[in-house]
Amino acid sequence: MTIAPQPAAAPLAAGKIAETVDPVYRQIRDLVYKVSGIYKAEEKLYLLADGCGRRMKQLNARTPREYWDHLTAQPGRDEELRHLLNEITIGETSLFRSQPQLDALRKVILPEIVAEKTKQITKRLRIWSAGCSTGEESYTLAMSMLEESEHLLKGWTVEILATDLNDRSVEAAKAGIYGDYALRNTTDYFKRKYFTTVDEKKLQVRPEIKKLISFSRLNLQDGSKMLFMKGMDLIFCCNVLIYFDGASKSKVINQFFTNLNFGGYFFLGTSESLMKLNEQFHLVHFPGTIAYWKPSLSSGKL
Amino acid sequence: MTTSCNSMIRQRVQSIETMPAIPAIFLPLLKMLGSSAEEVRVDEVVRLVSYDNTIAAQCLRVASSPLFGLAQLPRSIKAAVMSLGLRRVETILLTCCLGQAFPAGKWALNPDIFWRHSLGCAMVCRKFSEKLTAVDGEKAYMAGLLHDLGFMVNCMVFSKEFAATMELACREEIPLHEAELATMGFTHCETGQALAQKWKLTDDIIEVIGHHHAVEQSQKAQPLVALVHLSDLLCRMRGLGYGYYERHKVDLISDPAWAILLKEHRELEGMDLVRFTFELDEAVEDIHALVSAVFGSPPAKA
Repeated sequence: MTIAPQPAAAPLAAGKIAETVDPVYRQIRDLVYKVSGIYKAEEKLYLLADGCGRRMKQLNARTPREYWDHLTAQPGRDEELRHLLNEITIGETSLFRSQPQLDALRKVILPEIVAEKTKQITKRLRIWSAGCSTGEESYTLAMSMLEESEHLLKGWTVEILATDLNDRSVEAAKAGIYGDYALRNTTDYFKRKYFTTVDEKKLQVRPEIKKLISFSRLNLQDGSKMLFMKGMDLIFCCNVLIYFDGASKSKVINQFFTNLNFGGYFFLGTSESLMKLNEQFHLVHFPGTIAYWKPSLSSGKL
Repeated sequence: MTTSCNSMIRQRVQSIETMPAIPAIFLPLLKMLGSSAEEVRVDEVVRLVSYDNTIAAQCLRVASSPLFGLAQLPRSIKAAVMSLGLRRVETILLTCCLGQAFPAGKWALNPDIFWRHSLGCAMVCRKFSEKLTAVDGEKAYMAGLLHDLGFMVNCMVFSKEFAATMELACREEIPLHEAELATMGFTHCETGQALAQKWKLTDDIIEVIGHHHAVEQSQKAQPLVALVHLSDLLCRMRGLGYGYYERHKVDLISDPAWAILLKEHRELEGMDLVRFTFELDEAVEDIHALVSAVFGSPPAKA
């Protein structure tokens, strides 16, 4: 069966790219969004086109239209979509990847959580990097929290749990060795303070940072193990759920909601949407970034 | 706000001499926008614009921006009307007139930033209105464009006081209207309303200018005021704010304005707010480019 191409939604701005890009890429963009929640903005359509181009080469597809058939016709469309998602999210991982997310964390969210929890006896912050891949996000969070240890988080215990399905990723994450590409957004200040030199091209995270993180293997679809990940204040799950089908995605998201404390936040990738799969989370905007909030008991929004 | 404060604002605004004269075609244009006789208006608009070459040239440049959808520079105002429709051209002309009323200069609030926000809000209002049934998109655009008129007044009439406001807002990273209340005891809503009344703008636009930060207090045109309020918040969260970081968490769906709009427009329930946000990001660059086209200053780095 072939899914009939739907007319692409009119963008807010047409932009220069609009005049040059094959309209089929806009259909592919909409299909990718519908299935995975990943949205490639108009100015980043060329990245989508590049990813499609690499897949087209593999498949000997001559035109974007022909490739559209691969993405929409059985058999093999699900697998092809996975290949494409791999292509378009590859290389997105780096340390300090989303500054707006970190700003929101430091300037708005942490003060809010700290104020909320000060009323409680526990001074403990629990963060979970779900689908941590090779550890870039986890170490970014650890370093950012450590920067606050003399200020906002003075006297607080911070626990970071980082899990991934892939054993090799978990091992690489534990090693904490990164090259130029992964470190492209890391400032010299952070490099000097939190890394040691491995060789000319590689730096390794210092042991005192590693100590803050507990890495382990976890399948997000393993319901019984997910139950143990409770009491979280922040959950980050970037570009992981995009590979799940609707029902599994919905189940995992509901579980995340349960795993979070009241007043906790759930972050997806920067161009990823929850697609209304959970109505309990509140979509909240911060400058330059969005998150999903489990309202606090005192907010009156439950 | 006290009555004496209110009359002080009105007096100061009434006696504005320092305020650059608005282009002569502005008020007739506004009047025409309220008229329904399209045929008469086309000739009238062409005649009006013929008096002001600067505005005419600017209008054609704006019309060819990707934001307005013409692929190339139209040859004449009449040609622009043929392609874009009369009301669209009228609102473009209005945009250009306002650009001249608040010229580039050393104001407490940088005019480029002000216009990026105002134009951004206008675009979002129009795009938002497309998601709703039976909402006049050009009216929504106009409301978004004019909602912060009061900042122009503050810059020109209360320049010293407003400089202190900007300083406080940037330092404390708080919303500008909160800083206004703290430093001046009144906000751009009151000063904008006074200017709007002096200019004899229509009642619904005056209502938007006066109440876009307190939607529940608006007596008339509440859905339009709510639409502008939400679009304004969204702009400030997506890089079209006032040029500084606002420590602000925005929960649009829990905002009273959302409920007000939803009461009139049940279709809002089905809106994909995350995708809408991503689409807004696509327009940011075009808005920067357009502001540069109107004011002739190079785009500042974000």
